[in-house]
Amino acid sequence: MNIAESILLALDAVRAHKLRSILTLLSIAIGIFAIIGSGTAVTSLNNTISGQLNELGENNFYITKAPMIQTHDSWRKYRKRKPITYYQAKELQKKMTITDVVSMYNVTGGFTMKSGNYSTDPDVTLIGANEHYLVTANTNIEEGNPFTTEDVTMNRFIAIIGNDVAVKLFPGTNPIGQSIRIKNQQFTVTGLIKPKGSMMGQSQDNIVIIPIGSFMRYYADEWEQSVNIIVRPPAKDALSPSMDEAIGILRGIRNVKPWEENSFELQTNESLTQQFSAFTKYLDLFGLISGGIALLAAGVGIMNIMLVSVKERTREIGLRKAVGAKSNWILLQFVIEAITLCQLGGIIGIVLGFVGGWALSNSIGITASVPLLWVGVSVGSCTLLGIIFGGYPAWKAANLDPIDALRYE
Amino acid sequence: MNTPIINIEHIARVYDMGGEKVHALRDVSLNIYPNEYIAIMGPSGSGKSTLMNILGCLDTPSSGIYNFKGLDVKQMDDNDLAEIRNREIGFVFQTFNLLPRATALKNVELPLVYSGISRSTRREMAITTLTEVGLGDRMLHKPNELSGGQRQRVAVARALVTKPSIILADEPTGNLDTKTGIEIMHLFQELWKRGNTIILVTHEEDIARHAHRIVRIRDGEVESDTTNSNPVYA
Ligand SMILES: Nc1ncnc2c1ncn2[C@@H]1O[C@H](COP(=O)(O)OP(=O)(O)OP(=O)(O)O)[C@@H](O)[C@H]1O
Ligand SMILES: [Mg+2]
Repeated sequence: MNIAESILLALDAVRAHKLRSILTLLSIAIGIFAIIGSGTAVTSLNNTISGQLNELGENNFYITKAPMIQTHDSWRKYRKRKPITYYQAKELQKKMTITDVVSMYNVTGGFTMKSGNYSTDPDVTLIGANEHYLVTANTNIEEGNPFTTEDVTMNRFIAIIGNDVAVKLFPGTNPIGQSIRIKNQQFTVTGLIKPKGSMMGQSQDNIVIIPIGSFMRYYADEWEQSVNIIVRPPAKDALSPSMDEAIGILRGIRNVKPWEENSFELQTNESLTQQFSAFTKYLDLFGLISGGIALLAAGVGIMNIMLVSVKERTREIGLRKAVGAKSNWILLQFVIEAITLCQLGGIIGIVLGFVGGWALSNSIGITASVPLLWVGVSVGSCTLLGIIFGGYPAWKAANLDPIDALRYE
Repeated sequence: MNTPIINIEHIARVYDMGGEKVHALRDVSLNIYPNEYIAIMGPSGSGKSTLMNILGCLDTPSSGIYNFKGLDVKQMDDNDLAEIRNREIGFVFQTFNLLPRATALKNVELPLVYSGISRSTRREMAITTLTEVGLGDRMLHKPNELSGGQRQRVAVARALVTKPSIILADEPTGNLDTKTGIEIMHLFQELWKRGNTIILVTHEEDIARHAHRIVRIRDGEVESDTTNSNPVYA
């Protein structure tokens, strides 16, 4: 008895009972769709995050007042921490010996930029940054110059602007050397950022960068007074000594007593990615549970189809036994039929899941990734589904008495 | 005489119908030799089908001895019996029992599927056998595209294809008109001439007259066992 023949028989059974089969296949497809769809979305999200972090610099570490990804409860604890001031960040930069690249920044959204009679919408992101920020943010200058150390220490009223702002304020003219107004302060444009396009549906070019000193004094959000720091060690093996050094220096500057824990957070790409997947895991779990429920319902459907199929083919089973089919072969035939049915639904679900996950990823502007693990899980669970829910009907078929079966009307 | 293919001694078959015992067979002894052509006759309910099922290893006797080609059938398990049915026995049923969705060719191939014979050999053997029963031009027809007589020919081909030691036919002409019945009897006669061993159950004297030995059963016992010295040729 060969497997190909059983598969053909299964497809024949599907054809003979179209409506019933389609309903069952659909519920399998929905279950697998939920699993694959959430798997695709989660894998894509995770890959995007770790890809972007690595793009910023594989060995970077980040110093912030509170962790970047927070749960509801932890928020209270971190709220009481004192902000990392611009002064503290400058001290850190001065005292670091392993690396010079200590980037600082702070961000506030919702600004209106003006120049002459032109004005942007009130949606421009204003970034206060030091001379290392552009490098650690993977941002390049298309025209003009990045900030020099002097620009930053002297708090010069200069600005580097993104393409969206340039297009709105200086249509058809070169923005370099012209001035823009942020609130009531004039800034001279000294640089134009190379366009980056959008990310998760948001333009990355709708920004203005000014030296961090002025930013902290005039524009920082009342609730976000803490400077964010990115440190880039020269090489991978300098990562952990740099972190130790930074911790030591910052504890000193911020007067942390030896028995107290750090009053700031250090995170690496790795720890950030991990935290992020700890968060996306819930999405996976949700897909898995809802998929599991759908599959359970599908299993009952499969059992029903198979029981009806066994009943309708009682004489056929009797005949097969009469001409020499052993019980195990009958069992195998019906189990393979059940598995084939399940896999058929599974394939539909996998395809739908890909399309769904891909559409979702696309709509939020990230690259879709195929969750190979979940494809494996789907194929595996379809097989298991077939064995579990096809097992009983198959066992019934295998144990039919050939004479009774042949006589069955 | 040579050794019998089938040797049964004092077999009985009792059905237990919830306390009430039905004696389908009480005490039957028979020896059946190679190339015999036997008709089993008897009134309805006398136990003919029960006997055929036991001879065909679809059922086992409640008591008594059954030796098939010298092997004790009682000692065999379900898998052994399935193998005997596959290799040694060809069944022809009153209701044909063809797979409705399969072509004549596929139907005839069916027993070979369970013999572990390769696809191509299977096909060849089925084609040869279908041609022998005169259906060479109907091989790709499904049962509902064939006449009753043609369907029974397919069933006979299916019984023959494994080259069994014995062909068991339980009222093979019961669902056919007289003329078509005679055609099937002609087919059996040809098979017998080629050396096959045939046992058929029938109600009709006209059909039984084709056999060379007639066993009459009544109430689960052999009433008479006679040689037909003057068989009719179809
Ligand atoms: N599965 C069964 N359970 C109970 N009794 C049975 C069963 N099969 C047959 N019998 C009984 O055994 C007896 C013999 O039945 P069997 O089918 O062998 O008769 P038969 O000679 O073939 O009759 P017919 O000519 O009508 O086909 C009958 O009384 C029948 O009711
Ligand atoms: Mg009968």
